Amino acid sequence: MKKSEDVLKVVDISRTYRSGEVTVNALKAVNLTIAQGEFTAIAGPSGSGKTTLLNIISGLDVPTSGHALLAGRPISEMKGSELSDFRRDHIGFIFQAYNLIPVLSVKENIEYIMLLQGIGEKERLSRVVSILEQVGLTGMEDRLPRQLSGGQQQRVAVARAMVSGPDIILADEPTANLDSHTGASLLNIMRELNETKGMTFVFSTHDTMIMERAKRLVLLKDGEIVKDEKRQ
Amino acid sequence: MVLVKLAWRNVLRNKRRTVLSGLAVGITLACMIFIDGIYIGMLESMIRTATDTLLGQGQIHAAGFRDTIEVEKTIHNTEGIAESLGSEKVLSGYTERTVSVAMLSSAAGVSSVLLYGIDPETEKRISMIDEAILKGHYLAPEPGGQILIGSKAAETLELETGDRLVLTAAQADTGQLSQEMFRVAGIFQMGMREIDRGIAFIHINQSRELLSLGNATHEIALKFRNIDDAGNRSLPFWETYSQSGNEALGWRDLIPQLDGVIELSDTSTTITSSMVFCIVAVIIVHTLFMSLYERMFEFGVLRAIGTRPLSMALVIFFEAASLAIVSIIIGLLLGMCIMYIFSVYGINYRGIEFAGVTITELIYPVTTLRQFTFFPALIFVFSLVAAIYPAVFAARLTPAKAMRRTL
Repeated sequence: MKKSEDVLKVVDISRTYRSGEVTVNALKAVNLTIAQGEFTAIAGPSGSGKTTLLNIISGLDVPTSGHALLAGRPISEMKGSELSDFRRDHIGFIFQAYNLIPVLSVKENIEYIMLLQGIGEKERLSRVVSILEQVGLTGMEDRLPRQLSGGQQQRVAVARAMVSGPDIILADEPTANLDSHTGASLLNIMRELNETKGMTFVFSTHDTMIMERAKRLVLLKDGEIVKDEKRQ
Repeated sequence: MVLVKLAWRNVLRNKRRTVLSGLAVGITLACMIFIDGIYIGMLESMIRTATDTLLGQGQIHAAGFRDTIEVEKTIHNTEGIAESLGSEKVLSGYTERTVSVAMLSSAAGVSSVLLYGIDPETEKRISMIDEAILKGHYLAPEPGGQILIGSKAAETLELETGDRLVLTAAQADTGQLSQEMFRVAGIFQMGMREIDRGIAFIHINQSRELLSLGNATHEIALKFRNIDDAGNRSLPFWETYSQSGNEALGWRDLIPQLDGVIELSDTSTTITSSMVFCIVAVIIVHTLFMSLYERMFEFGVLRAIGTRPLSMALVIFFEAASLAIVSIIIGLLLGMCIMYIFSVYGINYRGIEFAGVTITELIYPVTTLRQFTFFPALIFVFSLVAAIYPAVFAARLTPAKAMRRTL
């Protein structure tokens, strides 16, 4: 897969919702560029528009105006199977409540996207073994999600998001359901993957720990970026 | 393959719901199997009763005889036909009869009857007269002034075995009345009012003499090796013997009302099946939607991480197929049990008259291959058809809406 210097480019994105008679401007002409290898936290109070922004970035929602380019492709204009395939191949998702497929084992959950991609069994197995080692879950391949702790489930979710080598990993409050120790441990794993593998992470978060450890902090307020700070 | 695995495991995920839905559909299938089996059993019994009691599985007459029962209308070339019938491989037997309207008189009263002249020996192979004797005995092989009357006629005429009666009938050609005294050899009961009240049997030779028929015959009753041949209108046999002023008819034409019942049964089976399968469709749709709504967020996640809309629809179809397989297994097992139980004990509809035929025996369900192949296949297909709506619903789910709370 050809990597672009800027993995993500959001250009003048606005999103307006109608709620009965009321019109809500969730995003107002937002511009944002994420380069490969960034570890970015998008933070802000509830209703600031961070969820809407991530939805549009991932193609789960469409902007009222403006456009988003992911890996150089206009994701906002894609539909149906093309959009599904694009998400499958270019975006890794980590959700707040783990959201593993409960009837599939750890190995099968991680394999799922690779199966959709048509990757051969040998390659799949090799990647699963490798990624489980990276997230510290070696030996738990055959367990079902319900047999894992919350932290372990979230690590499986990280492994699932990463295993197909996406251009960007979008994480929605990944530590929200974890205690601080488990959350810190998970964050360490993600930070390490970012540093060693050059994976690009974008978080939507309230968690100060993520904000503190992010290499870049984007603050949203009332649908506008009010602060965009890069750190080392 | 992963979609099949996903679907199957989802079906097993809520075992109680799967078992309940499977039971509902399975019971429906079992009912279909049983209803079909008992319907076939009842029809076979009715056909058997109608043909074996007296009628025979087919008959040959002079054309028009059945409409008028005129004594003069005898079968043309009886001897030639009888010889030819003897070499017919499809037949297991035949018997000659005379049929005329007659009057029975006793000290207590008179009663008009349809008088059958029968050959006591060959008749045994065709009808059940000999088995239906309630009192006394069957006709002797040789003529001897004996008569068999039905139990209802015996009541009306206040006759018992050994009593005498006078039989009056019109002779052929001249139309002159002929009278002769007979002794009641036996009283029969076939369980069919018309027969028990309105039919009497004497030896065919005496009947021919009484009616001045010579060696002529009014009716040849037939029994086939395979009863299906008797009901097959396209069998060349009928055409062969429907020549020279004679007509040969199978039981379908002799008892058209019973044939109508069979056609009606096919229609009603189709209607019943349609209704039953609508119920199946509702159960399947309901179950799939319950399962779908329960896993809405999960479906949203599957869509978000790259599952195509078509694959989402396939998951639903595979779930419907899995549910159908579970249901079919339950249905077949239940169906087999029910069929076995009723094939041992039967259902007692005896005495009920339907389409002119009185059911005289226990009804046993008939098992056919169709019940255990075609009906399950229909359930399977209907389940998939029923899954179209939820499948389209799943395919159209947008991840954001499905997940409610989104990224």
